[in-house]
Amino acid sequence: MADIVISAKGIHKTYGKRSTSYEALRGIDFDVEKGESVAIIGKSGSGKSTLMHLLALLDKSTKGVIKINGTDATKLKSRQLNKIRCLKFGFVFQQFFMNPRDSVLNNVMLPLKIAGVRKSQRKRRAMKALKIVELDDKAKNKANDLSGGQKQRVCIARALVNSPSVIFADEPTGNLDSATGKKIEDLLIKLNEAGITLIVVTHDEDLARRCSRQIHIKDGRIEK
Amino acid sequence: MKIIDVISTANSNLLRNKSRFILTILAVFIGAFTIIMTTGINTGVNGYIDKQMASVGGEGYLEIMPASTMENLGGGGLDIMGDGDVKEYSSEKAATEIEFFTQKDIDKIREIAGVESAKAYQMTSAEYIYSVTGEAKKFEIQIGEMPSDSLNVDMAAGRMVDLNNGKAEIAITDKFIEPLGFKDAENAVNKEVKLAVKNQMTGQTTEVGATISGVMNPNVVGFGRAWINDAAGNELHDIATAGLPDEIKNQSYFAVAQLTDDYLTDEKVTEVKDKLKDMGYSAMTIEDEIGMMKSFFDAVTMVLTIFGGIALIAASIGIVNTLFMAVQERTREIGLMKAMGLGKGKIRLMFSLEAVALGFWGVVLGVVLAFVAKEVANHLAAETFLKALPGFVLVKFDIITLIVICLIVMAIAFLAGTLPARRASKLDPIEALRYE
Ligand SMILES: Nc1ncnc2c1ncn2[C@@H]1O[C@H](COP(=O)(O)OP(=O)(O)OP(=O)(O)O)[C@@H](O)[C@H]1O
Ligand SMILES: [Mg+2]
Repeated sequence: MADIVISAKGIHKTYGKRSTSYEALRGIDFDVEKGESVAIIGKSGSGKSTLMHLLALLDKSTKGVIKINGTDATKLKSRQLNKIRCLKFGFVFQQFFMNPRDSVLNNVMLPLKIAGVRKSQRKRRAMKALKIVELDDKAKNKANDLSGGQKQRVCIARALVNSPSVIFADEPTGNLDSATGKKIEDLLIKLNEAGITLIVVTHDEDLARRCSRQIHIKDGRIEK
Repeated sequence: MKIIDVISTANSNLLRNKSRFILTILAVFIGAFTIIMTTGINTGVNGYIDKQMASVGGEGYLEIMPASTMENLGGGGLDIMGDGDVKEYSSEKAATEIEFFTQKDIDKIREIAGVESAKAYQMTSAEYIYSVTGEAKKFEIQIGEMPSDSLNVDMAAGRMVDLNNGKAEIAITDKFIEPLGFKDAENAVNKEVKLAVKNQMTGQTTEVGATISGVMNPNVVGFGRAWINDAAGNELHDIATAGLPDEIKNQSYFAVAQLTDDYLTDEKVTEVKDKLKDMGYSAMTIEDEIGMMKSFFDAVTMVLTIFGGIALIAASIGIVNTLFMAVQERTREIGLMKAMGLGKGKIRLMFSLEAVALGFWGVVLGVVLAFVAKEVANHLAAETFLKALPGFVLVKFDIITLIVICLIVMAIAFLAGTLPARRASKLDPIEALRYE
């Protein structure tokens, strides 16, 4: 059996309290193996993002256990959770979330800054990440001046700059046309082939098909 | 994140909205500047008083007045405005209340242990002065009897009047050298002048001769008065009061006393003052008078400092507002950084540092402009109202006080930053990222 990076057991997530409460996840069991690429697919509102946030330790489940490399994440202190997210995870979001007035380079260096990497190393590593997404010539540009596809490539550079073991992507192609989306897909698949575990929430069937495994979510449950 | 990166991030975040940054800093600056300037004036004025008084001497010299006079001077403030309570007249009280000194009173004071000498202080005034040797132009002059030879006055030439000299003497200020027709201070010494005095009953003016014993440098003792000795004082007094009943002639509202050499310690002086108090007098040493003067200036500068403090409080509300806006604007960014593993403490620190930086730049601006204002104010003051008092530096900065003010302003800014910093650190990353 291969190494299990993330394992989820009996996950429930309820938003809100009493009368307005909504159970977004209703018992999810699933493991992610090292080096896998998992596509989480399903209708809007089915709970895909919620699941991804829980797996990425951004949120706490109402019930159930999430283990990262075998350690129970619910038992970890927030400082340790921060450390895992900082050093082991990379994130790509649909709306990019960049600092538009800052330079491309500074945006890519942000995770390294948070991780406390020395200044001399930051630039070198960020440039390497930008080279992978073929945007090293735009390093000095303002993030705002890039096209949507370029922005998302910068976000991918930012996600891989700290050499994570897992990259989480929530609808990475959602804001892009199919041609630019294709380029993002290629990049993500390429990273996965280089050994980074990929967990991607997507509506894009093309991207889903290229992943090694697809998980269908319906009404907070995994469809068999 | 390394602390150095938190600091540099906080600093560059501040500059993102430059106009807001500058306006917030201006508010801090106004408060800091006001406080720096008022404490600077306080330091300057008190420093000058101290310097002057250190050279004044006056050890063992006491000014004595009836306790009731003192009350009227100090406590009666609102009475003058007709706001005092109506008091029933009591003949008993009136009888015990001493309002002026008689020879008997002076004798009693002389009997107190430790009092070497005491005398009633006569208020003298002259109509005008003119030089016998010069052009004989007449000038108005403020004069006073030199109360004690224990007071030191800085002389430009000659010496202070000799209280024991039977001949009339006068010590003039250097302002009178030229008007009286002398070449310089040395030239004025030992020259004869005439003082004119008016009889209080007839209004008739009589001239009296006096010798210039010396010329004084500008000083605060007597605020620019010319000093005369007892011989001159008695002569002027006699002419002024000639024809008046003796009781009125000899009325004196002040008395001065000199303590013996073994009564100069604080305890001994207090002992004498207490005895005088029991007799219905109030006595003040030179130190007491300096103290009164200083507490007056302290009160004035305190009020101004309070205004500065109020401005600072308003500025700190500005800081709170600025940072709340910054948290609002950067919600997503904060969420993203938290998602990427930046701890709560660091985010809180980042915003607290932004607040401190606002305070810091405000106070730096305050210090810089205060130094400019100091130069301008001192220059203007030296040219105008302090012209007669060389060595009087109006505004003076004390480095410790400056540092303390800087630290206090930054502490206030830090406190103002705690609320927004807390809000930022508590942001939920998921909600922040969903925030439109
Ligand atoms: N903070 C919240 N409070 C209350 N309900 C929430 C909250 N977040 C999500 N939900 C609800 O949980 C359900 C699942 O939301 P989620 O964002 O996981 O959907 P999704 O599958 O990612 O949909 P989409 O494809 O549109 O992004 C939705 O019905 C949503 O309304
Ligand atoms: Mg979603």
